[in-house]
Amino acid sequence: MTNYPKMATIKVGDELPAMHKRAEEAELFLYSAASFNPHRIHYDRAYATYEGHEDIVVHGPLQGSWLTQFITDWAGPNARLLSVQWQNRASAFVAEELYFSGSVISVDQVNGSVELEIYERKEDGSVLMPAKATVKLEQS
Amino acid sequence: MSSSLIPPESLARVGEILAGPVTVRIDRRESQRYAYAVGDLNPIYFDDASAKAAGYRTLTIPPLFITHALVAPEPASKLRTDGLYEDSASVALEVARMMFGGEEWDFLEPVCVGDEITGTTRLLDLDQKEGKKGPFVRLVRETTFTNQDGQVVARSRQIGIAR
Repeated sequence: MTNYPKMATIKVGDELPAMHKRAEEAELFLYSAASFNPHRIHYDRAYATYEGHEDIVVHGPLQGSWLTQFITDWAGPNARLLSVQWQNRASAFVAEELYFSGSVISVDQVNGSVELEIYERKEDGSVLMPAKATVKLEQS
Repeated sequence: MSSSLIPPESLARVGEILAGPVTVRIDRRESQRYAYAVGDLNPIYFDDASAKAAGYRTLTIPPLFITHALVAPEPASKLRTDGLYEDSASVALEVARMMFGGEEWDFLEPVCVGDEITGTTRLLDLDQKEGKKGPFVRLVRETTFTNQDGQVVARSRQIGIAR
């Protein structure tokens, strides 16, 4: 039985377990297909570099969905994601190692929710995607 | 003072509906393809008993899948060189390039497989700003998603940066 965070014991500064992702060509192709996205920068290396990108570009919404997975894996199935917001500051590329980290920045015991601050970073530590989210956790 | 990147006729469109309303039934297999493509194997997307144990009516979906569920099928003849479809919902701007700036989501009610979801997208905001690299345009499209019972289930604001 997995131990998910509870409103009764959560505190500011609690950290989410780190998650890392790396998408190869096949994964990016599957995401293009599953999201009905024919944008050439996500599968055609020659075209992506012609547009000035370093390599095949990881989809912004794929990183958004990794972000929601990062949150829901931590919060558990009985929690509810109430809101999420992120900024795409730079592009991620095929086969890059990407790291998610996050922590609780406020606890609202009246509404039974917590606010999270999350970052997706590249291997060199630069921030690709700063994010915030609110989640309603299980009471106890 | 730099010249305007936003033609007056585009500015006049703030508040206008850009796309929709379009209604789609949330399909189990499409949702699961999306979840697999993300690598998100949460049992509440795949196993009915797990979804019900977590308080859902039936299988729920990866939160951001709702946007992709609403994408309309279009013929390949409408593809541009960059692989995107010719977009009747695009807003004319005097810029070279539109970038994906980020998103903001509010999740208000659960969305489950079989729900009939209607999405309507409006041009919420359009303004020119001065950045370090010169002027840019911030364009915000807001999509409201409602279900078969008329409840607003989610709102998304997609932020585009154009320069």
